[in-house]
Amino acid sequence: MISSFIANPAFLEDIIRILFVFVLITAAFTLSTRNIASLLTVYAVQSLLMVLIAIFLYMIEGNKTLIAIAALTLVSKVLLIPLFIDLIGEKIKISRDLKFNYLEPTASLIVSMGLILLAYVFLSGFFSELIMSKLFFMGAVIGLSLTLMGMLVIFSRRKVITKAIGYLTMENGVLLFGIFVADLPFIIEILIVIDLMILVLLTTILAIGLDSTIEEYHQRLQTLKIWSGSGD
Amino acid sequence: MIILSYLTVGAIALALITLSKSHRTMNAFFILHTLAFLAIGIYVLLTTSIPIFETGSEYFYVDHLSLYEVLIAALLFFLASVYANGYVESLVQAQELHRNNLKIFYMIFSLLLTTVTLAFFSDNLALFWIFAELTTIFSAALVAILSAKENIDAAIKYIFIASGAMLFSFIGLIFLYTLSGEVLGSGTLNWTLLAKNAALLSPKMLTASFVFLFIGFAAKSGIFPFHTWLPDAHSKAPSAVSAILSGVLLNIGIYGILRIYAIVRQTQAEPIVSQFLLGFGLLTVAVAVLNMLLQKNLKMLIAFSSVEHMGILLLGIGIGTPLALFWTLFYILAHSLTKASLFFSAGILHRQYESNLIQDIKDVFSLQPIAGWGFVISSFAIVGMPPFPIFSAKFFILLEAFGLSKSLVFAVLLLLVIASAAFARFLIEAFTQSSKDEGTDGVEALLPYTVRSGMKFPILSIIFMILALGVFFPEPLEKLLNTIVYELGYL
Repeated sequence: MISSFIANPAFLEDIIRILFVFVLITAAFTLSTRNIASLLTVYAVQSLLMVLIAIFLYMIEGNKTLIAIAALTLVSKVLLIPLFIDLIGEKIKISRDLKFNYLEPTASLIVSMGLILLAYVFLSGFFSELIMSKLFFMGAVIGLSLTLMGMLVIFSRRKVITKAIGYLTMENGVLLFGIFVADLPFIIEILIVIDLMILVLLTTILAIGLDSTIEEYHQRLQTLKIWSGSGD
Repeated sequence: MIILSYLTVGAIALALITLSKSHRTMNAFFILHTLAFLAIGIYVLLTTSIPIFETGSEYFYVDHLSLYEVLIAALLFFLASVYANGYVESLVQAQELHRNNLKIFYMIFSLLLTTVTLAFFSDNLALFWIFAELTTIFSAALVAILSAKENIDAAIKYIFIASGAMLFSFIGLIFLYTLSGEVLGSGTLNWTLLAKNAALLSPKMLTASFVFLFIGFAAKSGIFPFHTWLPDAHSKAPSAVSAILSGVLLNIGIYGILRIYAIVRQTQAEPIVSQFLLGFGLLTVAVAVLNMLLQKNLKMLIAFSSVEHMGILLLGIGIGTPLALFWTLFYILAHSLTKASLFFSAGILHRQYESNLIQDIKDVFSLQPIAGWGFVISSFAIVGMPPFPIFSAKFFILLEAFGLSKSLVFAVLLLLVIASAAFARFLIEAFTQSSKDEGTDGVEALLPYTVRSGMKFPILSIIFMILALGVFFPEPLEKLLNTIVYELGYL
C-alpha cells in the first residue's frame, strides 16, 4: 500500500509541495520568534525539511547527489550547527532577542508576502526560456523567497545570534534553489558547508563579545580559550 | 605545479607561525611567506608560458590577469608585513591588542594571503566564490582582533553584509550553471569554458545571472548601495590590515565583476550591462565623495576614498573598450599602492595622537615628519594629481568615456573636484594645527611617538614606486597589461 504511494511520482510531487508550505511557515517563525531556543529549533526543523525534500526528489529523479546533499545537510545543519549555537547561547546567557530594527514582526510578514510575489514574478519572467516542470519552478521560487526572507531576518533582528540564523536561513534558500535549478557538483556543496561552519563559528564567537558586556567578554575569552589557545 | 607550490609555501608558513614563540619570529615567518609568494609569482611570469590550467581538473587557471592580481596582493602583503613588525608591537604595548592574540593575528593574516591567492587563480567560479567568502571571514576576524566593541561591531556588519550579498551571487552562479548546461550539454562554471562559448548563451538569462553575481561582488568591493560596511571596517581595523582590506580585498570583487563582464561583453547583453555598471559606478563615486567632503575622521576619509575609487574602476570596466580596460588594470595597481601608503601613514599618526579625529591632530610635521609628508604626498597621488600614476589612469579612462557620454565625464570630473577638495580641506585643517595656537596652559605638549623599525620603509618605498610609475611607464608592465586585455578577449 505505502510502497505503491511512494512509487507514484505524482504523490511524491504533492508531498514536496506540502513541504514547501512548511518551509515558508518556518521562515515566518524565524522572522517573528523572540525566544532564541525556539529559533534554533525552527532552524533545525527547516533544515530537516530540506533533507526530506532532497530525499523525495531523489525518489522522483534518481540523482544520487541528492542523497549525498541530504546526508550532508542532516549532519551539518540539523545537528552540528544548531548544537554549536545552542552551546554559545548558553555561554552568553541570552535567551531572548526582543527588539526589532526597522520592521516589527507583522510588518516583516507582510513584506515577506511581497517578496514571495516578487520572486515569482521575477523568475517567471526569466524561466520562460528554461524548460522546467512546474514543481521545479515552484522550488526555485520558494528557494529565492527563503533567501530574501533570511535577508529580512538579518536586517530586522538585533542580536548577532539571530542574525546568524537569518544568514543560515538565506543559505537554506540558496540550497533549495540549487536543488531545483541545477545539479551542482557535490564537492561544491561540501565547500559551501565548510564556509558556513567557519562563518557561524566566527560570528557566534564575536557574538559573545557583542551581546554581552565587554569586561565579561575578556573573561569569557580567557575561559573559552578560543582566541588565544593558552589563556593568561 | 604553480598552485601546489603556493599551497606548500602557505602551509609551511602557517605551520612555522603556529610554532613560533615570539612576535619577532612570527613576523619574520610572515614576511618570508609574502616574499616567497612574490618570488613564485615573478618566477612564473618570467619563465612559464601562461595561460595554463592547473591541477589537471581545470579548477585552477593561471593567466596574466590572475597573476597580475596575485603579484599586487603579494607586494601589498609584503609591505604590510614589514609595517606590522613595529606597528603591531605598538598595539600590544598600548594594550589595544592582547599579546595572546598575536599568534592568531599572524596565522589569520597568513591564511588570508593564501586564500586571496587561490581565489585569484580559481577558474571554476564556484571555487572563486568560496575562496572569496573565506577572505571575507578571515579579514573580518582581523578587524575584530582588537576586540574592542566597535571593532566587533564593524566586523559583524562586514560579515553579514558581504557574505549575505555573496549568497545572491551564488544564485547567479546557479543560473549561469543551468544556462551553460542548456547550451553545452552539461553545466559548467569554468570561466575559460564560459568565455569560450559566451556567444551561445542567452543574453536575457545572462543579464539576470550578471545582476545576481554583481550583488555579491559589489558588496565585496564596497560598491553603492552595498558599501555601508566598508567605512566602518576599514577605519576600525589595525592600519596594517586596513591597507590590505583596501588594497587587496576590494580588488577581489572588482576582479569577479571584470571576469563576468568579459563573458557578457561577447553577447548582446553587453549594452545593458555596461549601462548598469556605469550607473552604479557614478552613484558610488557620488555617494563616497559626499561622505568625504565634511569628514572629520582621518581613516574614514581614506575608507570613503576607497569607495570612490571602486566606483571609478566600475566605470572603467563599464566603458568596455580595450583602452579603458588597459587603464583600469593600471588603476588597480596604482590605487592599491597609494591607498596602502595612506593607511600606513595614518597608522603612525594614530599611534601618535591615539585618535583619528581632525581636532586631535597637531604639529604633524614636527612630531611625525615621515608620516605627515607621506600622507600629504599620497593624498596628492590619490586625488589624481600629475605626475602620479592615478592621474594618467583617470585621464585615459575619462577620455575613453568621452566617446560614450559627455555628460557622464562632466559629472565624474565634478565629483573628482569635490573629492580633491575633501582631501585639501582635511589636510589644511588638520596638518596646519599647532599646539602653540591654543596656548600651552592646561595642554601638555605631546611627546613624539617613536616610530618603530620597519614602519617607515613601506611608506617611503611606495612613494618611490608611485613616483617612478607616474613618470615612467615600464615596458614589461605595458606588455603585461596588453596581454591581459588580449586574453580577456577585448582585442
